[in-house]
This record gives sequence, C-alpha cells and structure tokens, in this order.
Amino acid sequence: MTARLARWSLLILTVLLSAIWLPPAWDLLFGDRFGKTQLFYSPVIERFVYTELVGEGHQFIYRDLDGRDYSREDFEALIPFIYYKNMELWGRLPLTLGGQTFDKAAIVAERQVMELKPDELPGHAPRIPLFPLLESNPPRAGLSFPEDILRPAARLEFIDSDSNRLDPVRTDVFTQALSAAGFRFPVRAAFGRVSILKPFDAGYFLLDDAGALFHLRRRDGAPVVAAVPLPEGLRVRYIQVAENKRRELLGFLLAEDDRLYLMRERDYGLIPLELPGYRPDRMAFKLIFDPLQRTAIYSDRETVRAVVMDRDYHPLDQYARRMAMADPRPVDRLWEMLAPFSLELHDPDRRYLALDLRVHGPAALIGVALSLLLALEVLRLRGLRPAQARMDLLLVALTGLHGLLALILIPPERGREG
Amino acid sequence: MLRAIMLKEWLKLRWVWTAALLVHLGGLLYLLLALRHQFQVEHSEMIWYWAFELRRLLYTQIQFLPALTGAVLAVAQFGPEMLGGRFRLSLHLPVRGDLLVWSWVGFGALLGGLLALLDGVGLYWIVGRWFPHEAAVSAVLTALPWLLGGWVAYFGTTLALLEPARARRLVYAGLTFALLALLYQARGYQEYDRILSALTALALLFLPAVILPAHRYRHRS
Repeated sequence: MTARLARWSLLILTVLLSAIWLPPAWDLLFGDRFGKTQLFYSPVIERFVYTELVGEGHQFIYRDLDGRDYSREDFEALIPFIYYKNMELWGRLPLTLGGQTFDKAAIVAERQVMELKPDELPGHAPRIPLFPLLESNPPRAGLSFPEDILRPAARLEFIDSDSNRLDPVRTDVFTQALSAAGFRFPVRAAFGRVSILKPFDAGYFLLDDAGALFHLRRRDGAPVVAAVPLPEGLRVRYIQVAENKRRELLGFLLAEDDRLYLMRERDYGLIPLELPGYRPDRMAFKLIFDPLQRTAIYSDRETVRAVVMDRDYHPLDQYARRMAMADPRPVDRLWEMLAPFSLELHDPDRRYLALDLRVHGPAALIGVALSLLLALEVLRLRGLRPAQARMDLLLVALTGLHGLLALILIPPERGREG
Repeated sequence: MLRAIMLKEWLKLRWVWTAALLVHLGGLLYLLLALRHQFQVEHSEMIWYWAFELRRLLYTQIQFLPALTGAVLAVAQFGPEMLGGRFRLSLHLPVRGDLLVWSWVGFGALLGGLLALLDGVGLYWIVGRWFPHEAAVSAVLTALPWLLGGWVAYFGTTLALLEPARARRLVYAGLTFALLALLYQARGYQEYDRILSALTALALLFLPAVILPAHRYRHRS
C-alpha cells in the first residue's frame, strides 16, 4: 500500500511539474517576437492609425482604420506630435493643423504621457509598507531622499535610516498634524511616487480609516496636510501620482468601481474619463497629451482600445481593435491540442508568482485520445494488461500528455502494482 | 530499536552536519559583513530605496545554501548505505521497511530543518539590524522558498541515491531539479507569498515517495 502511495505521489508530482514546465519549454522552442498593436489618433487625417507586427522579422504594417497602408515615414508624419523630433529632423516643423501652427517648443510644452499598469495596483505586487517622504521645497536643485522613512500605521511613524530607530519627535509632529486635519488613524493606504527623478515632489495621498483622503507633504521639514474632497459615494482604490512639469494634473485616481479619474493639481478636482471596456486589473492604460487632444489607449492581450478626447476630456471618437498577437498561431493550437491544461507561473499583470490553471479547449480531447493510445502501448511493453493499470489510464484520461509523461517516467511495477 | 536507528543516523551525519552548521554560520557571518560593508560605503537611505522600491534582494548570498546542504546531508546519510549492499542488510532489520526509511529521512530532515531554522532566525536578525522590522519579515518570507529548496534537495537526492535502477535515478534527479527550479524564479521580494503553500504541498509529496526506491530495492534483491 505504501509503495502504491509512494508511486502515486511521484505521478502527481510529475503531472504538476509537467503542467508548469512544458508550456515555457514549448515557448522556448516556438516563441515568436511579437508586441502589442500601437494605436494612435492622427490629428492630420483625424482617424485612428496603428502599427503592428504581423509576421516574423520586421513585418510591420502602418495602417489607418480604413485599411490604408502607409510607409513608416508617412505614418510618423500622421502623428507629428508623437514623432516631433523626426519631424524636426525632416524639416517639417513648424507644422500647421486646424489653422494653428506648432513649433517644437509649443509641442514640447503640451506633451505628456501618463501610464497605469495592472502590476502597479495594490494586491498585484508585494509591497514593504515604508515610504520616503521627500522634502517638497528642497534647498538645492534636484530632489533627494530623506534620511528617514515613513511608516503609515496606527501613527505616522518616522524611522531614521542611519540608526534604524523611531524618530519620536517627527512621529508626533506629523501624526498630530494629520489628526488636526481630521485624519482618522490607522492609515489604510498610502499612495505616492517614490523617485527623485521627477520635476517636483507631490508627497503622498493617505487614505484614513473612514475612507477619507488626505494629501501630505513635507515642506521645509514640516507637515503640510490637506483634506482632499471626494465626490459622494466615491471609494478610492488606488492613486497613481504622476508629477509632471506641466503641473496640470497630479495623477490618476482609480475608484473601487474601476472608474478612472484624473486629479487636477490646483484644487484636487476629479475629471472622470469615459473609457468603455476598461478593466484596470488586466489592461495597461496610457493617456497621451498633445497640443490638440488627449488620447486614452488601453489594452489587454487581445484587444486595444482608444478614446480621443478634446482638451477638456470630452470624448470625440473611439476605436477598438483585436490585435494580431491575439490570433493563435498553428503551434499554439497544436499545444492546446496536445495537453488539456497548463499551470502558468507568471502572470504579466502581477508581480506575484501564480499557479494559474489554464484549461485548453475541446481540441485537447484529441491529445487525450492520443495519450491514451500511447499509454496502452507503454503498458503493453511493460507486460501489463489495461485492467491491471486502470488508475494509470484514468490519470492519463484526466491529464492527457502530462499523465502520459508521468506514466512513462514512473511506470507501474511489472505484476506488482496496478 | 528506533533509538538505535537514530543513533546510527547521528553517527553517520554528525561530522557532516557539524560542518554544514559551520558553513551556514559562515554564510550568515558573510551576509552580516556584506550588509555592514554596504551600509558603510553607501548612504543608508539609498540602500533602503534599492531594497524597498527597486526590490533588490540584498541577502541572496544564502539562497542556494539550504539546497546544497540538503543534497550533502542526503549523500552523507545514504551514500554509504548504497555501498557493499549495506542497504539490503538494513532492510532485514525487524522494522517495517517503510517505517525504517521514514525514520531515516525524518532524522535527516530534522537536522536539515534545524539549519533552515538557523538561516531564518539569522536572516531576520541580520536584516533587522539595518532595516525596519517589516523588511526583516519580508526577507524571511522571501527566503522561505530557498529554505524549502533544502527539503526538496534532501529528499530528491535521497530518492536518487536509494533507487536501484540508473534510468530511474535520472528521472528522480530531473523531477528534483524541476521542483528546485520552481523555487528560484523570483525577481524581487515576497513574490512567492501566494503560492508558497501550494509549493510546500508539492514538496511534501516527496515524503511518501521516498518509500518507493526501498520497495523496489527490496523486491529486486
């Protein structure tokens, strides 16, 4: 009995390891270079245009939504605010669009890109909850990291990085400043951008125990706290702080209901974005600013969508396109036919490792049938009748190629087990 | 009888285990000195930034130590058994073969577990000297898959050593490598938090599995 238990432990181990490692091995053998479709809005032809890789090597297409193809240079000229450096190189600046003329300085002054990726969302990546609160009014050029770190918890604790000890004075000063502003401890979440490579520091947004939002900065060493008014019923899920020298916006605010807002810097006003089909947990989001429009582009691994807006964020047009990379290749279909399922270790939308079960379609029945036939042959070569290895055959029937591999590697003992 | 078996296992392992203990203490001492050096030559706030934001792991010096020790303990414990038919003699003791093998591996795993405990406590203490408590806890959580690697390497090596058929030895070695490789996939801290229990369950399959070579050995003899 224990020998049978021992063998079945190894069979299960083999099946699971096969389901985890065979997909990356298959990808190693047959993986292709592909990328997401790059979708833009052309202010020149007032249409969406895109470029994507459709085959091996450098088989790029440059196309508009009507199916008209362009050369690469012509394509880049359709989105001159994106490729303004090339436009300058080609002597095509300043350019005139809609009766307005734009030189390089005018384009640079209006350009901005804001991004929100799924792996940045809370719960999608592990996070040590300690944050450096930068001096937002630095006495010299450039930002620098402070010599202490913020621990947002039941108080607003500061830990000195040289001594690795709590700074009780600073802790009291900042905790009291927050309390005086109406903050209810403990801190439920802290959102900020930890970097010194940014034009200024916007500090942190802190969510209190009642779900109210506060903005905290360190100015000349002292706390500056502001309560952030939120629309009735809005519950904050995440804030992506994005300091930019244009100083129009402080970043994105993602609500619990997955609605995305922009937060104005001057008054914390929230600008709702109309984004049909946006799923923040699975979609990378990008907002491109140019002198004429704002274009929101968001995509998972199948579909890319775009909404073009005027400068006041009112939608003008939208477009969705299934990407070439979403079309299964023959080798992908073959794999899904060979094995009934796989366990995926890496989720591109999360930093956490996973063992996500991916069940393949009905085509996998072909692979299961083939695996069963081969399993019968393996048993025959071992001198075993099918009736003596019913459980082994059941394993192959349930797990297909993975079970067959396990049966080959850990075969039943001749005449002793079944 | 069980005490006699344990005594025999201890006599087989004592010098190797003591050497392993010294190597682990040496590894932890090296980690301590490396971190101390890091904080002496760099600004503390920058190191904290690397650790928390850039997710740089500053304690990878010890990541392969448990797996290496697991394999060495297994070789020290079962290598001699496979020489001169001693394993066959052991299987003639008045103890059930499976209980005998489990008592052997239980003892070896216990000794390996003590070293893993030392690694975990040592890592927490060392990281906690220069980083806040949260970072020390995070370091231990990040190191848990490496500690599990010690278990996998020990049982995998034991399986391969006790197995009488060469081809099957390769199979066990391959399975062990495949499981070990799963434990070294992280690019930053705590990335295994959500699957560590599943991987532990997977590694626990080695415990019943280790009986199979003894069973095959006995029935081939």
